[in-house]
Parts: sequence; C-alpha cells; structure tokens
Amino acid sequence: MFLSVIRAGRGRAFPLLLLILAAGLLAYPDMQPLLGIREAQFDHYQRVLPRERDSEPVVIVGIDSQSLVKLGQWPWSRDLIAALVDKIQAGRPLALGIDVVFAERDRYSPEILAKHIPGMTANTRASLPDPDEKLARALKGPPTVLAVVGLSKALPGGRHPSKPLPVFDQDAARDRFLPHFVSALASRPVIASGAAGEGLINATPEQGQADNQRGVLRRVPTLAFVHELPFLSLPLEMVRVALGTEGSVQTEEGPQGMQAIRIGDYRLPVQRNGELLLHFGRSSSNYYLSAADVLAGMHDPEIFRSRFVIIGFNSTGLQDRVVTPLGESLPGVDIHAQVIESVLAGQALQRPYWLPWVEMAVLLGVGLSLIAFIPRLRARYAVLSFALASIAMLTGGYLAFFAARYLFDGASLLLLLCPPFISLLGNTLITAETLRRNAEAQLQQSREEAARMNGELDAARRIQMGLLPDTARLFPDERRFSVSALLEPARAVGGDYYDCFMLDDRRLCVAIGDVSGKGVPASLFMAISKTLTGTLTRRHAELGTALRDIEAELDRENPEYLFVTAFIGILDVESGHLDYVCAGHDAPLIVRNGQLLSIDTRDIAGPPLCAAGGYPFESAGMQLQAGDLLCLFTDGVTEATNGTDMFGSDRLRAAIATCGTVPVQDCAPALRNAVRRFEAGHPPADDLTLLFLRWHGPTGAQD
Amino acid sequence: MNLPTREQAGVLIVSVSGRIDHIASEEFTRALEPLLTGCVKGKASLLLDFSAVDYISSAGLRVLMMASRRAKAQQGTFAIAALQPLVQEVFAISRFNLIVPCYASVDAACKVVGA
Repeated sequence: MFLSVIRAGRGRAFPLLLLILAAGLLAYPDMQPLLGIREAQFDHYQRVLPRERDSEPVVIVGIDSQSLVKLGQWPWSRDLIAALVDKIQAGRPLALGIDVVFAERDRYSPEILAKHIPGMTANTRASLPDPDEKLARALKGPPTVLAVVGLSKALPGGRHPSKPLPVFDQDAARDRFLPHFVSALASRPVIASGAAGEGLINATPEQGQADNQRGVLRRVPTLAFVHELPFLSLPLEMVRVALGTEGSVQTEEGPQGMQAIRIGDYRLPVQRNGELLLHFGRSSSNYYLSAADVLAGMHDPEIFRSRFVIIGFNSTGLQDRVVTPLGESLPGVDIHAQVIESVLAGQALQRPYWLPWVEMAVLLGVGLSLIAFIPRLRARYAVLSFALASIAMLTGGYLAFFAARYLFDGASLLLLLCPPFISLLGNTLITAETLRRNAEAQLQQSREEAARMNGELDAARRIQMGLLPDTARLFPDERRFSVSALLEPARAVGGDYYDCFMLDDRRLCVAIGDVSGKGVPASLFMAISKTLTGTLTRRHAELGTALRDIEAELDRENPEYLFVTAFIGILDVESGHLDYVCAGHDAPLIVRNGQLLSIDTRDIAGPPLCAAGGYPFESAGMQLQAGDLLCLFTDGVTEATNGTDMFGSDRLRAAIATCGTVPVQDCAPALRNAVRRFEAGHPPADDLTLLFLRWHGPTGAQD
Repeated sequence: MNLPTREQAGVLIVSVSGRIDHIASEEFTRALEPLLTGCVKGKASLLLDFSAVDYISSAGLRVLMMASRRAKAQQGTFAIAALQPLVQEVFAISRFNLIVPCYASVDAACKVVGA
C-alpha cells in the first residue's frame, strides 16, 4: 500500500507533493529550521567577504574603564560631559553623536542641590550653575545628535523627543511596515534644545534570539516613528545634520514597501520595514579614543576634523555588547560607526522584495526538472544531476553576494529539494532493483531453457550415435576383413553418417554420407538417409538401382532442399571384388603396399542425392588385393581449418599413407588426432567421419 | 554480403568473393535473392563470377543448387564462371558441374549464355 502510494504516477506524484510542501515552507521563511540555515548561510557570505574598511570616517570617544577610574562613577556630571563635548568641538567634526540619553536632571542641578541643602537661599540657588544648561550650550557648536530610545509602551519618565525630521514625505508615515513607537525615552528639552537632531538607538535583534540565545545583530532600523513623528537612527541623523541644508531625507517606495532611503546624495538599500541589512567589516580598535585622554588634552583636536565623532560606552560594566555575523562581540556604539561607513559608501546587503520570488522560481524550476528527468536517468546520473544543481545554487548564491551583495539563499533551496530528490532517487533505485531482479529471473529462465535444450540435444545425440553401428563389436570373429569407423559431429548432432553390415555371408556393405549443412536440420535428414541406405541396398541386387531408389525416396519429402553426398561400396570378401557407387562424395583412398591410390569414381560419380534429381547413377567395380586398406572420409577432414589453412587432401593423403601397416582400429583415432592437432583449438568446420576397411584376403589373416 | 554487378553482352555478371562457408551461406542466399527474382525467361542471363571465391562448403553448394532450381523453374539462365582450383575441385568431387553450368572464364561464359 505504502509503496503504491509513493510510486503513483510513475513515481512522480509523491515527489511533487513534497515539492509543493517545500514551496509552502519557502513562502514562510521566518520559521525554524529554515531561518537558522538561511542566517548561517548569509553570515558565511559576510565572513568570506567582509566589508572593506579602508577609510576611518568615524572616531569613537569611549567612556571606558580607564575614564571611570580617573573621573569617577557613571553618570558623570553634565558639566564634565560638556567639557568633553567642548574638547571634541574644538576640532570641528562633521557631526557629533552622543549615544547617551539625558532623561533626568543632573544630580548637581540647583533644584536638586536645594533639596539636599535646606538652608539655601533663592539667590544662592539662582547663582548656582545649571550643568544641563552648560551641556546645552556646549551642544550648540558643530551639529550634534542626541540619542532617543523608542518604547512600544508608555513608561514612567517617558518623553517624546523634540526634534523630528523637519521635512519628510508624510505618505511614508502611514507605511504599515515601518516601526511605530507610542512613547520614547529622550533627553530633557533643555539639553535637546542645544542639539541639532535626535536619533533612535534601538537595535533590531533577530527573532531567533530567544531560541538560540545568540542574539546576532544583522539588521538595524533606519527610520521609525515616535508618536507619528519621523526619526532617523542616530548614525543616519548624524549624516543628515552634517549635510546641513543638503541633507533632505527621502524614501524610495516599491510595490512591497520601502526599498531604499536617501539622505542628500547618499542612498542605502533597505528592507520594506526600513531596516538596513548591515554589511559588517572586521572590527578595529584604531578609531577608539578614551574619554579620559580626550579630556586630559592628550589628543590634538585636529584628530576630529572632518570626521564623525560618537561618544559612547566602551567599558566592561556599562556597555551593551552585540554579536555580529562575523562572530565578533562589539560595543553597541561600534554599530553606529559601521552604519555611518555604510551610508558613506552607499553599501548594504540587498534582499529586495523580488529576491524571494526568484528563490521560489528556482525551487520550483529545479524541483520540476528533477521530477521530470530523474525517473528517466540511471541512479548515478540522477545523483550527479542533483549534485550539479546543488553546486549551481550554492555557487550562484556566493556569486550574487560577491557581485552586488545580494543575499540569495541557496542552502535553504538545497535543503528543501532534498526530500523530493530522495523520493525520486528511491523510486529510481526501486525500479533499478526490480529490473535487476527481473533480469536475473530471465537469465535464470534462459539458463534453465538452455539446460533443457542441452538435455534434449544430448538425448538427440545419444539417439543419433545409437543409429551408427559400433564397429569394434560388429564382427568379432571375422578374419577376412576388419573395419573401424568414427564420427564426431561439429555440434551436438550432425549430418554425417556411416554404415557397414553384411548383406549375406560374403558381401559386406560399407557406406558413408554427408548431408549438406550441420546441426539439427542435417541430423534429421541424416537419420532418414542412413535408414534408406541400409534398407534399399539390401533390397536391390544392383547398387546403381539402389542409389537411384534412395534418391527417389529422399526426394519425395524434402521441403528444405537438403542434399546428401554418399559413397556406397559392396565388397565380396571372398573374391575381393568391390562394387561401388558415388553421389558427389570424395573418392575413398586405398593404401596398397605402401602406395596411395584413390578409387576411380570419375566416370560413374553423379551429383549429390537430391541435388539434381533423377540422375541415372551407375555402379563401377574394381579388384582389391589382400592387405588393401580402404579409407572413406567426409569433408570434415579436408576442410578442417587452423584459422588460415585447411587440412586439405595433401595432408589427408600423407596421414593415411602412414596407416598402411597400422591396425585398423587405430587408424581412425590417429587420423582424427592429426586433424584436431592441426585445428589447434579452432572449432571444427564440419562433422568429421572416417571409416577404415582392410581386406585380408579370402582365407583371412591377422593385422 | 556485397555483390557488385555489371552487364556484359546481355549477361548480368555478379562478382562473388571470399569464403562461402556455413555462416556466409545465409548471407549469400539473401544477397542472391533479388538477383534471382530477375532471372526469368527473356531477361538477361545471371552469371556468377567466382574468380574471387576462395572456398565453398556444402552449405554454399546448397545455395547454388537452390538458385539453379529456381532459375530453371523460371526458365531463366544461371551459370558460374572462373572457378579457382580449390573450388573447381569441390565442384568436381560433388559433381556440381552437372547441376550448375560452369565455365572457365567470364568471356567464355558470355559467348555461350549471352543473348
């Protein structure tokens, strides 16, 4: 049941379902585990290629541990801060940002001192300096920006900032994607009155923070609303105020919300909710100065000229630290510096609204291609094609990042494509396994069939061999002649035959025949021919008549037009007279006193039986001498081949000539061995048949 | 099996080459088939030029026998010319010269079987 479900639709339905599920997951990318994979992937891009930090437009004056040791616990008196601001302003920086919210009165403000000193007169109180006012005055130099913390609910001490963006497209204010804060924590108006602007310092920790306890900072807001009034983030506000009248702020809107923010001529691509995907650079301590050193005048004020300066916390006890995608832990103030650098370089990571659609298209395109093609591929090519697709997606992601800082998520696509691919590959393997089993079954079947066929051929061979007389046992007590024969088919069965039998007391009939062709068809015709030869030579007194009759009988039913060459001889074993007929057969050889002769068949030989039909065969006669050795053979001897030459009649004659005095029963095996030696392992060309007959004379003699 | 043909004095001469053994005989049969179809009464005589045939087995002889029978049935003329000595010997032993007319050379054959 389960197998039938996953293999429905030629094994494509289930992978398709998995692909649809994958597409659904991709549509909601902010769920684990995809989010984790995606962030790890994007972080790795940045680790491979961090942002170059070749110029140092920002100086951070850090309120560090050394400063706290020298100047006392935080919060410092506002006049100390004012002194610090004055020192920095002396160098005429482009803008000064203070990453501190001065929300409450200074401890040393006259109002608070009056509470602590009950006897203070109103005059004394009026003559006391107000540190907040001193700070406000200090802030009036080159443009300064104060920090604001946006609050999502009203808190005690909450206060709206007083310096929103002066000119701004109000349509954007209604943008539902931008963050809106109902309240904020801002500096006292008396202090803020001296500043050129106020900027938000809220960070946007990743959503995964609660899950992985790792709170990596990847994105920072650029623009938000506090009580429906627009505010830039602190670093952007610093850039804006540094530009002065040229620093007008505009947003670029796309179909899916905000796409970029412009400050004067500077442009930064952002997400639809105004967040900047910060491209981090490697941290450096080069641009950090200690507040204590600045106050002590250890640095030439020129160090601040034409730079952005940020006062922030850089001490172990006070600072907020953030972890970057590069794996570094930095003071929060460093993020502001990196944002300013990004604005000036116009450089940020890009993940425009259409990029998720590209990813979806790649997912579906690759997925559907896999579903279309993998069932047609062998397993090894299926794996190879998936590997190539994976490499292409991952490499594509890196190339997009290197080329234009695009964040393309190849890793998630790869993960999402795995289930459909595994399902497809499973099907391929199941199919291959099934095919293999079927092939094995077929092989087994054909082996069994071959075995059966061999068995039948063996039976046929036994029967065919059984048709031939065993010359070794045929004439046990015969002293007038001896005979020996041998037949070896080229295949299991063959088309040659021989025969020898006594017609009466003194007439011995020997016959040899060769049906055209070999194998089973020839063997069937051989059986008929041999039978007819035996029957009809017994019936007819005259050999020529017998042969004509044999041909007539064979011709009666011969749809395959097979033909037979034959030589039949009848030896009067008393007189040594040999009668013979020949139908297209090789003339037998005679060894007489070491001399080699052949029986003269030239005048009487006709074509093979059934070749012409109705040929008027005649017999001839000759007189043998006592001791003559007759050799009847088929062309399996002369046409035996060793690959280049044929055994031929010369070799045959030479071999037979050596048989003159050899016992007859040894002649045939000796000649057969000579032929096989000559063949040297080559398969026999045709069936091989030999019949040797030695006439010892009327009284008989022994070999 | 490739059987190049040419026509000379009204005789279609077919050049046969190689060994016509058990295996080649089947191909020989197929190659000869279309030529035999045209070997009918009144058409050009069919002459096999055997000058390049090294060897012929009994299976090859059977193909010739059947070709001869068919030509005879169609009242066409079928002959063989220019046998090599070894092939000549096979023909002599098997008396196939009684079944298929054999000529010493193509020219000699053309004089006889030509129109």
